This record gives sequence, structure tokens and C-alpha cells, in this order.
Amino acid sequence: MAPDAIVTQGLTKHYGKLVAVDHVDMRVPSGSVFGLLGPNGAGKTTIIKVLTGLSDITEGEAAVAGYDVRRDPMHVKQNVGWVAAEVILDDDLSGWENLWLQAKLQRLDNWKDRAEALLRYFSLGDRRKDKVGTYSTGMRKKLEIALALLHQPQVIFMDEPTIGLDPSTRHMLWELIRGVHTEFGISVLLTSHYIEEADALCDLISIIDHGRFVATGSPTELKAKVKADLIDLETVEAVDEARFRAIPGVSDVRAQGKGWILRVSSAEEVLPRLLATLRADGIRRINVEKPSLETVFLDVTGRRIGQDEGEVLDYRKFYAQMRRARR
Amino acid sequence: MSAETRFAGVPAARSVPSHAIPQGSQFAGLYIREVLKTFRNPFVLVITVVQPFMWLAFFGSSFSQVPLSELDLLLHAQIQSYLQFLLPGTLSTSMLAIGMFGSMSTIQDKRFGFMKRILITPTSKATVYLTKALGSTTRGLVGIPVMVGAALLFGVHINGDPLLWAGWIASLALLGFGFCCLFLAITASSTDWQTPGVISNFITMPLMFASGALFPSANFPTWMQYIADFNPVSYAALFGRDIVLSGTAHWIYLGYVALFAGAMVAIGTLVASRYLKVE
Repeated sequence: MAPDAIVTQGLTKHYGKLVAVDHVDMRVPSGSVFGLLGPNGAGKTTIIKVLTGLSDITEGEAAVAGYDVRRDPMHVKQNVGWVAAEVILDDDLSGWENLWLQAKLQRLDNWKDRAEALLRYFSLGDRRKDKVGTYSTGMRKKLEIALALLHQPQVIFMDEPTIGLDPSTRHMLWELIRGVHTEFGISVLLTSHYIEEADALCDLISIIDHGRFVATGSPTELKAKVKADLIDLETVEAVDEARFRAIPGVSDVRAQGKGWILRVSSAEEVLPRLLATLRADGIRRINVEKPSLETVFLDVTGRRIGQDEGEVLDYRKFYAQMRRARR
Repeated sequence: MSAETRFAGVPAARSVPSHAIPQGSQFAGLYIREVLKTFRNPFVLVITVVQPFMWLAFFGSSFSQVPLSELDLLLHAQIQSYLQFLLPGTLSTSMLAIGMFGSMSTIQDKRFGFMKRILITPTSKATVYLTKALGSTTRGLVGIPVMVGAALLFGVHINGDPLLWAGWIASLALLGFGFCCLFLAITASSTDWQTPGVISNFITMPLMFASGALFPSANFPTWMQYIADFNPVSYAALFGRDIVLSGTAHWIYLGYVALFAGAMVAIGTLVASRYLKVE
């Protein structure tokens, strides 16, 4: 049996007083796609930085591709590929020259045939001599994945690979990532804060929050853990929490912003009772969620993914309104 | 384990097995990248050609109304023109500022994330540092033939022979490399675009004037003479000036410049290995 692609034990990273990664134990089986799912700032990118030797480990142990990250970072780097959240290429060089530079940095012999094959695989052969600065975002992402594959790494780190992409390019990349995994048989550690992305691509997922792993399993296992439906609602009038708890079938109640999250055995059974209870108070909004990674995240962290970024979105709205007002 | 069915028949690209991970291939790749990026920029090429002419035309003409006999007394040398005196000094001072380009290029790589791309490969920080320094030095050296050609067009006579000229170029290369190393070491942990310009002004101005590059240090006050005596710019300028004016060389001056470059590369490599920031 092949050894695990990545193993960590008590992996911890501090930036001054900030604990970015907090005693993480991780085991990524060889040949699997392992997802780190969590909101921005949860510690996903930091984990990639310490596992690739870009950042020092504060505490704990980590091995990647069979090499100790602390003691042998150079051999780790020889055996890993990297796809950045923001596409990072040298725009002044052509696609071919970017591949050439990657071959030099990885000290490769006989790289040209493989580079040609990769360019064909990613449909970039016709643009190989053009400067990368003239490529579309999708083409740049493809070239970045080709760079990551050039030296036949054992593990590829994909840090938010589809962030900022339009839906069609995102789905194209999902297909590519699935293809790369099937075709090349490489272990992939993928970070994302898109729940549907983790659900679609990963064999195993760890939910990370404030630098800690709060749940790990396959998407199916994680969904099975919830064993409950969630009802997300907001009322017109203030309601006492005890009234929700008194409804048969409601197992947990949490305040969520201006509304409530009810954990229920079966939404179909509880919903009529709930509506009867709240008839006089008026319901402004109600949403039923069946078990999904979204509900898993909500269940284990008590928040929705991306909820903390709400204030930023509000600022964006504010500035958009300001711009409109100036016109 | 790897299936790679579609890649059947394609020769595998294998890493050279090694425990110490030699840096030759990475060094060559990064150095060539620096050179390609520099010389693909049309503004760099135009400025490289035009600037020496401007230096010689404007600065070199500043004593044109002074009789030659008075200039000889002022400059403590037998000269054909102030331009002949100025040329080696101008070339030396031009090497002072070239470290700024390597520093800016490093900061650009940090800010655009390319430093991460480089350092997620078996490339050491020292290799990155040295290629940046060598790339900047190369950029500086390209100005030498242009400036010498411009001086010849202005009618400057250059004495010496090919061996002496090679020594002169070596002194300028070592001076430039030394200052690039110093510059990059100072800015190793910086990610601010403004830092290289500020450091350049801080280093360039005092070292340019407190040297024998533009005027003989014999005319300086005592405190400035002390600085000039330690300033490697003085020695590169004096080494070149002896060759240009009389076709002779004090090789000890070249030795001093080499010592400076050696010290800077040693200190800079240590500093960069420890403090070169990834982003």
C-alpha cells in the first residue's frame, strides 16, 4: 500500500500572537483529492505555505511525499506542484518560456516532449509563443496547472483554484482538475470556500475554522453526521427561543444574525407545527435545508461559510451606492 | 502509481537525483529570466543608450570655458579635456545605482507572488539573491560600451591596451556587483516599491561625491578624504583614470574593489538566506 501523500501531527503556525494553524492532524491518502473547506482567514493557505516549506512550522511535524518538511524542504519542493489562488505566471515571458523556466527551477532533463504533451492536453499549443500577458484567465489557469504537472510531482497543492472565475470557467476547471487527477494519478490538496466545489471534487474533506479542523470525512460521511434538516427563518416580531424549543421535533435552536437556525428531525413534520406556532408573529423569511456540506459547516461551526465576510460585502454595496450617487 | 495513460510513450522528465540539490540549473534559469525581462523592455534600451550621451554632454561640458592649464591644476592631472578625466568616474558612479533595479525586480516578484512560485521549487534564497544581483550587474555593464563609444564620439582619447581595458571592465563589474549585493541585502525584507528609490538616494549621493570619481579627492576637506579613502567608487574610478590618461594601472586598486565585492556577496548571501521575504 502506498504511503500517505501528506501526514501532519500537531501542525501549528503562529504569526506573532495570531495562531493561524492550531494543532492540525491530517492524513491525505496517496492518490486522493483532499479538500480543506473553510471561510477566508481560516488557515487554509497557511497550511499550504507550511507544507510546501514557504513558511516555517512553529510546532508539530509534517511529511509531504515521504519527506520531512522541516528537515528536508528542498526534496519536498522537488515533489510538489502548486496552483495559486491568484494566477502567478511571468507575464513578460511566453507560455513556452514559463514552462522552460519551471523546467530549469525543477532541474529537469528532457522536459520538452512532456511540455509539448501538456500544452496539447490543455489546448494551449497554438498560443505557446505568445506572451502570457495576452492569455485569457482560463488559459492562464490551464498553463499554471501545466507548470505544476511538468516535473511529475507526487502531490499538487491547489489553493482556491477557481476563486474569482466566472461560472463557466469554474466548471471547465473542475473538469480539468478531475481529468488531471484521473489522468496523472496525483494526490491533490485543494482549498476552497466554495461548498459545491469541495462536494464535486474531493474524496475527503476537512472543515477548517479558526485554524482548527472541526470535522473530517468524505462528503457523504460528513452529510450523514448531521442527521437533521435545518430550518433557517426570520420573524417580523421578536420571538422567545423557548417557543421554538417547545415544538416537538426541534432538537436545537441557535440565533443567527437577526434570525434563527432550527435543527429538526424532519422538516416535513416540523414545518406545519412551526407555522402554526408563529402564525401571529409573522414570518419574514424561511428556508429549509436538507443535509449538505453547507449544513455540515453550519452544524460544526455555528456559522455559515462566508458569513464573516458580510461586512465586507456591505462596504462594497456602500461604495457602489456612492458611485451611483455621484453620477 | 501514476497512470498518465494519455502520456504513454512520452519520455519522462526526471529530476536529477541529488541530496544537496545543486543550484546551477536554477541559477541559469533565473539569470536568463532577468536578462530577458530587462532587454525586452524598449524603454530600458533607449535610456541605456541616451543617458551616457546626456551625462557626457551636460556634465562633461561644465568646465568647457576653463583653460586646460587651469584644469590641470584643479584636477591634479595632465588631461586632454575634462571629459577624459570624467569618463572613468562617470562609469564608476553609474555602477552605484544599478542595485536599485535588482531590488525593484525582487520587490515586484514578491508583490506579484512570483517569489512564491520560485521558492516552491528546489531553489535556495541565496540563488534568487545572486541571480538578481548578477542580472542587475549585467544591465549596468551594457552601459559601458555605449558610454565609451559616446566619449570617443566626443573626441576623448583612451590610452592603454586590451589587458588594461579588460581589467578596467572587471573593476566596474566587481564594483557594480558589490553594490547590487549591498542594495539587495538592505532591501531583502522589504515589499514596498518606494524603498529601492529611497535607499538609492541614500547610498548614491554621498558615495558619488565623497569619491574621486568626479573631482580629485585632494581638493576635499579632510573628513571627506577619509570617506573617499574607504569608498570603493574612488578606487574603481582611479583605476580606470590611470588607464585612460596614461595607459598605466595600479592593480592594487582592482584588488580593493574585488575585496569589497567579495565582502558584499558574502554578507549579502547570509542576509538574504535569512531575511529574504517570500511576499
